[in-house]
Amino acid sequence: MRRRSFLLSALLLGALRGAAAGDGGVRYASVERRTRLAFPRDHGAHPAFRTEWWYVTGALDLPRPDMGFQLTFFRTRPGRAEDLDSPIAARQILFAHAAITRPGAGLLHAERAARANLGAGFSTADCDVHIGAWQIRRHDEGQGGESIRISMQDASFAFDLVLKPAQPLMLQGDQGYSRKGPRPELASHYVSWPQLQVEGAVALDGKREKAAGRAWFDHEWSSEVLGPDSVGWDWVGINLDDGGALMAFRIRDARGASVYAHAALRDRGGRTRQFDAGEVQFTPIRTWTSPRNGAHYPVELEIRFGPHTVQTSPVLDDQELSTHRPALINYWEGLVKVSGTLSGRGYLELTGYAGALKL
Amino acid sequence: MIRLAWWLVRAQFTTRRMATALSMLAIALGVALGYAIHLINAAALADFSQAMKSVQGEPDAVIAPRDSAGQVPLALINEIARDADVAIIAPVIETRVRIDNATMAVKLIGLDVFSAAAVTPKLLPRQSDRVAGGSVFEDGVYASPTLLARFKLAPGDAVTLVRGDTHWRTRIAGDLPAARPDDLLLVADIAWVQARFGPAGGVSEGRVRLASGVRVGNWLGAWAGRLPAGLALRAAEDDSARVSNVSRAYRVNLNVLALVALLTGAFLVFATQLTAVAQRSTQFALLGVLGLSPRLRLWQVLLEGLAIGVPGAGLGLVLGYVMSLAFTQVIGGDLGGGYFSGSAPAILPRPAPALGFFALGCAASLTGALYPAWLNRIQPLAQALKTGFAQSPPSGGAAPRRRRWLKGAAMALVALAAIGLTRLPALFDLPLAGYAAIALVLVLGIGAAPPVTQIVFGALARLRLPAPLRIAVQNIVQAPLMAQVAASGLIVSFALTVSMVTMVSSFRTAVDQWLDVVLPAPMYVRSKGVPLPRELLGALAQPAAPFEKVERSAAVSLSLDPQRPAVALLVRELDRAEAAARLPFTGAVLAAPADRLVVWISEPMQQLYRLAPGQSLRLPLLGREVEAFIGGTWRDYARQFGAVVIGAADYVALGGRFEPTDLALWPRPGEEAAARTWLAKFTADYGLEMAESGEIRKLSLSIFDKSFAVTYALEAAAMLIGLFGLAVTLAAGVWLRARELATLSALGFDRAMLTRAVMFEGAMIAGIGLVIGLACGVAVGAILTHVVNPQAFHWRMKLEIPWLQVLPGAALSLLAGIFASRFAARQATRLPVAQVLANAQ
Repeated sequence: MRRRSFLLSALLLGALRGAAAGDGGVRYASVERRTRLAFPRDHGAHPAFRTEWWYVTGALDLPRPDMGFQLTFFRTRPGRAEDLDSPIAARQILFAHAAITRPGAGLLHAERAARANLGAGFSTADCDVHIGAWQIRRHDEGQGGESIRISMQDASFAFDLVLKPAQPLMLQGDQGYSRKGPRPELASHYVSWPQLQVEGAVALDGKREKAAGRAWFDHEWSSEVLGPDSVGWDWVGINLDDGGALMAFRIRDARGASVYAHAALRDRGGRTRQFDAGEVQFTPIRTWTSPRNGAHYPVELEIRFGPHTVQTSPVLDDQELSTHRPALINYWEGLVKVSGTLSGRGYLELTGYAGALKL
Repeated sequence: MIRLAWWLVRAQFTTRRMATALSMLAIALGVALGYAIHLINAAALADFSQAMKSVQGEPDAVIAPRDSAGQVPLALINEIARDADVAIIAPVIETRVRIDNATMAVKLIGLDVFSAAAVTPKLLPRQSDRVAGGSVFEDGVYASPTLLARFKLAPGDAVTLVRGDTHWRTRIAGDLPAARPDDLLLVADIAWVQARFGPAGGVSEGRVRLASGVRVGNWLGAWAGRLPAGLALRAAEDDSARVSNVSRAYRVNLNVLALVALLTGAFLVFATQLTAVAQRSTQFALLGVLGLSPRLRLWQVLLEGLAIGVPGAGLGLVLGYVMSLAFTQVIGGDLGGGYFSGSAPAILPRPAPALGFFALGCAASLTGALYPAWLNRIQPLAQALKTGFAQSPPSGGAAPRRRRWLKGAAMALVALAAIGLTRLPALFDLPLAGYAAIALVLVLGIGAAPPVTQIVFGALARLRLPAPLRIAVQNIVQAPLMAQVAASGLIVSFALTVSMVTMVSSFRTAVDQWLDVVLPAPMYVRSKGVPLPRELLGALAQPAAPFEKVERSAAVSLSLDPQRPAVALLVRELDRAEAAARLPFTGAVLAAPADRLVVWISEPMQQLYRLAPGQSLRLPLLGREVEAFIGGTWRDYARQFGAVVIGAADYVALGGRFEPTDLALWPRPGEEAAARTWLAKFTADYGLEMAESGEIRKLSLSIFDKSFAVTYALEAAAMLIGLFGLAVTLAAGVWLRARELATLSALGFDRAMLTRAVMFEGAMIAGIGLVIGLACGVAVGAILTHVVNPQAFHWRMKLEIPWLQVLPGAALSLLAGIFASRFAARQATRLPVAQVLANAQ
């Protein structure tokens, strides 16, 4: 459950205010437990739902070790101009974020935004989403093989990577029905694809270098995920060194207590175990204070789930992101190493620490 | 040495206060005019391009249809967006609408906030707090503060936007906080504008920002071959070039006039310094004997020239600045040229141009001092000490007859060169050869002054005249240099005045006659770029309408060359058979082959694009290239950048939508008043403009006169400088002859006789100057009319010499000249006879 659902709502607060009030009578599709996902159709967009994201995060060993990268596309249906007779009415809006973490040298970040049909677009049949030349797209490679190509360009950095799956999809929750809160209607459809092999090129300051590493792909869509008492969440998606995969999150209230939590562990053999709210615990060990806004982020966390205890340690403390589109939102999202009863690398997201996210 | 130099300068200034001040003033005037024109134009251009930038942003490239009725398909916008070399493309729909039924149409820009944030941030809307629950993606428009004030609107107000028969009932949802004070704009979400006013499936244009490191030229080259025929991709830099091209010729013309003012200033310095050298020849000779080297004598005169130039140029800068402020307030930033509309632009002086004009003023002054300085250097000391100033250098060995021959041959060559130059085409779109020809004509005029003076006065000298007159005549014949100096000032200034009056009058007569042809109907209705309501067009078609004839027309603009302003395509209800009678053709009207599309091009279009009747022309029409036969060229003084007329039936046959914006109406005889009342209902309901041909004609001519306001000011300045020159030189000449006059006094000539002699001399010189000036003026006027005007503005006209203005002007100048010589004579006759004679030896 990427906090992106929170984030997205907040992002669009200024421009899309009032959409939640349902004026205009927009009816969003709702997430149902009985829905069975089918692929590649469900890799594509689900425009009837309010929000959706395609999320690629990963760790590179080439060109330099422990280099983090991410490319994310968000789709939102603000519920505006739904009946307007124009192919470019702002019915579906796309946002994209890209970042590279360079240990010891800081974080690079870029973003784009556009409405569908006007410089941006998505497919409803397969994973194929773009804003300008930035894209995430799945390709069939013949003989049952497949890959995902992600590419982006900005003034200071660019990457063009091919992700090859080594393992099957990981459907989160109950066959992809992922609860996000104590009430059953707070839920999303959530599909992960861990342990993707990365090959391609990264360009930093115009210098193009060969890149290789491992990535994690998430695709999630929903219409309502957050309750009114929630202010933010902590999330991890970790490619374990032994070939396993760990996803864990919790949603916090204003006092920092967990409103809801969940974890899923798939071992190298492909067996997945789900851990419910009562079995999952997040404990801050060390916080990092943002010099820009004074927010305290628990970048070192202890996560207990069932018999396991792991700790996160960031490859770079300052992996805070700021987005300005349309309102300023700060959050922390970056590459961490995980140690404890399990070890691996992956992305940690911390939101709602630089002021509560308002919905 | 330096102290001596300054002492001499000071002495010169204090003894010749009047002449020095006048020279300074003339230099100041020249600098001021040039500088003011520069400042005003720079401000107007900056203002214009800023206005453009605030609306268009600062993209690297723009994709737009070449036909203003066209569109850029969405598919192409999306294809360009996916190019990795493109950082962002901002699609825009621009249209014009009326707010409720206001007369004035305003620009409505449909934009996409996501891309506008990067490319046109100044157009980003701000939601008003007073409008609850809205967002930029919903039904609502955002208005610039100026528009809100002009239409007395506030956020939350309901408005109806009207374009033709389409209405959009919406509300003011907020404002445009970064709009410029001059912007009269509405902004809305692009999808809403598209849904209400179109174009369906497309946008007006896309503004492209390229990824860093991508070269605009390479990128344009890569895309150029892939575009459909009706679209053009241009570098945004072309837009600045186009803006500057809009007024370039007009500006250069004004600057040439300023240069003329500066040259007259130089001439005045020349006159002053020459007389100063003459008057002080004894002093200089004495200093020479005492050891002042010839080189230093030369430098001294140059220094004095500079001493006039520096304060003159400084004063000119100040004056120019003040003038530019005054002009922008009174006439506006386009110097009356009508190129830029809007309020007065802010004048921002920068150091480099100011220094440039300052240097120009000093250079003019130095140039004027050059010949006198040289004369001063070569003065034979002994003779100067004894008899005073030698007017010409010691002559060389050549026989006078041979020299006269050489002179004649040189003048013939100059005349031939001038004629040759008028045959040359424009250089860099400017009539540079024409200007050079004008300069040669003036040189010729000045050069002709001595032989003419000698012939005329030589003949006069042989007549039996009363003594004072004979003295005057003899004096001119024997001292031609002073006479020439005095006359040449008048020649130049009168020639310029006559030529400008001639050009303006030719132009005005031509415009007047042209208006007769282009305004055949008694009444006109127009809607300023917005289609006329169908209700009106329908009512006009009914038999009850009180008109015997109605002609509808529409205009779109076509971009034939991205560096030039767009060409107007006038869609008119005329068929090929009757075209000859309906347009003011300049030459033969060719019958087009029946199977070919025929268009008629305007004269500026013919010259700008080097076309000719009978040729074929490829027009970017309706999304494709259409080949048309040029049936003829018609005269057009309204659209300097070219126009093409196409028949409405042909346009519709090509697939165009004929949406009339203008009507020419012929009321039934005797029903004029009824027709006016009939129309008034529609004009009030739809905010249309109705005018009778007489009003339009009056307005056009008043715009014409306004645009030549600066020209008249320059003419007056030139005439004043010429007369100053005459007065100064005559006074100096008289002063030089103080001894002679004193002797005459001693011999019994009374004051009145002496005064009369000097005045007669002045009148004769002025007369010769005016006659030669008139001849030159007519020649220059012809060059302006037949060479400069067609090359700079691309319109032609017949030469009309306004004798009724020129001859009284000449008489007035003659009177002024006589008056000036009277002033000189008074000075001379005031000299104490005894003292002068005593000083003499």
